[in-house]
Amino acid sequence: MPTSTSRTSRSLTTRYLMTCAAIGAATGVLLVPANFVSAALASTVPVLYSAMVGLWIIGPVLALALVRRPGAAVLTMLVAGVISSASPLGASSILTCLMIGAALELVFLVTLYRVWSPWLFCTGTFVFAALYTWSAFVAFDAAAMATVVQVLIVVLMMGSALAGAWLGLLLARRLEKAGVARGLAPARTRTAAPVETAAAPSGTATAAESA
Amino acid sequence: MSAVVRPGPAGVETRPAAVDPGPAAGSPGDRSGARPGTFAGPAWDLRTYDPLVTTLGPLPVVVFVFTTRDLLTPALIAAAALAVVLVMVRPPGRVLAALLLGLPLLAVVMTVSFGVLTDPHTVDGTTLVASVGPFELWSGALVTGLATSLRTVALLLLVLVGGLSTTGADVVRAMVQQLRVPYRIGYAALAALRFVPRFGHELEVIRSAHRVRGVDHGRGPLAGLRRQAGYAVPLLAGGIRHGERVSLAMEARGFGAHPARTERVRIPFRARDVVFLVATYAVPATIVLVVVPALARSAG
Repeated sequence: MPTSTSRTSRSLTTRYLMTCAAIGAATGVLLVPANFVSAALASTVPVLYSAMVGLWIIGPVLALALVRRPGAAVLTMLVAGVISSASPLGASSILTCLMIGAALELVFLVTLYRVWSPWLFCTGTFVFAALYTWSAFVAFDAAAMATVVQVLIVVLMMGSALAGAWLGLLLARRLEKAGVARGLAPARTRTAAPVETAAAPSGTATAAESA
Repeated sequence: MSAVVRPGPAGVETRPAAVDPGPAAGSPGDRSGARPGTFAGPAWDLRTYDPLVTTLGPLPVVVFVFTTRDLLTPALIAAAALAVVLVMVRPPGRVLAALLLGLPLLAVVMTVSFGVLTDPHTVDGTTLVASVGPFELWSGALVTGLATSLRTVALLLLVLVGGLSTTGADVVRAMVQQLRVPYRIGYAALAALRFVPRFGHELEVIRSAHRVRGVDHGRGPLAGLRRQAGYAVPLLAGGIRHGERVSLAMEARGFGAHPARTERVRIPFRARDVVFLVATYAVPATIVLVVVPALARSAG
């Protein structure tokens, strides 16, 4: 791979862009059916709808944890929004996705993209979930709902958001172990994963091994 | 260099990903007077308008509708948005049927489901309409539910104005051309559209690989779930590696070498866009400031 990480780590290399695009495309494919299901749930069982938030978290958390560069979450969610504009809400899903990516990346911006530990991912997810819960409360007029329902909505949203973040981190760890996107993240503090896969350019063989 | 840029296993997907896919096949413009991708056509056709005007323009109205609590404002804004969709988008029959049958159904279902969820203590003094098991439905709660459902329908219709008239690809092009988003980012998103069929192929390869190696998760629904989860990491790994190969192919063809690039599809910003944008804010403002108070006065 002709990426000299020392020189180009701060710029938008094409490799970085296309890696985020690939993660975003996978997220978008996941979000198309999720949009349909959540539209149905939001109208009938809004309490269960709040348990679906986690699906929107997996992609950006995975991208941030794997690539560890500024803008990874926003870029991934831009692509996810473009892909998932095949769902009923059309192109406006780009906006939704961009807002989620930006909200998640906020805490990393505050720490100047120097801290990448799991607790910061949890904090970021928590910030996003709090913002989203608030907006959902306004939209659904949850203040008029029974207290039990209110508590249930908050708990389910936070729980599913944190579960999504956990899943994203898990996937990033597995991918890192499989040797994917190696050298893309600038200056890792941790040493590379001990599993040394042969650097075969035909991705499917090594990809199948990493299962 | 050419040895490195050897196409991936499938080979065929590498080249098209590097170029602008052009107007997406099956874009909403298929049935309208406008030819997709040209933005030329009669002024009634919302598909000829700037994608940013139709998708981002209604955003302040969306935020405002979020904060309404009465019945009349969201109902009138929803009616206005529906009129725009019917007259200016003229969606194909199936979408039209889904809109005209689905939205009233959605409103009814939401009225009941949110009515059930409403705190009974806040609607003391109204009548009990029905009770099924532990659930009680009060008429006051139904009004709250109706307000929520009308608000949701209004939000949905405002979003559909942009959603039904543009494609994601056109929004990205407009972002690059008008919002000055770096074209490298925009074209990465456009290239990603070509990744989706690639994922299907990759999934087939991984399934076969698992079968050849005799990966066994047992039987039953839980094992099926585990099997599906087992595809996630190799699928993502394959996707990212494909992305890296595509990035090499793109760079080899000079992607990003120049500060600006020529566009195959130009998104115009014309007088009709300005008119539509002004109307987007003028109509809801008239509804809120003039129509609703007038109706409230005549009713009271």
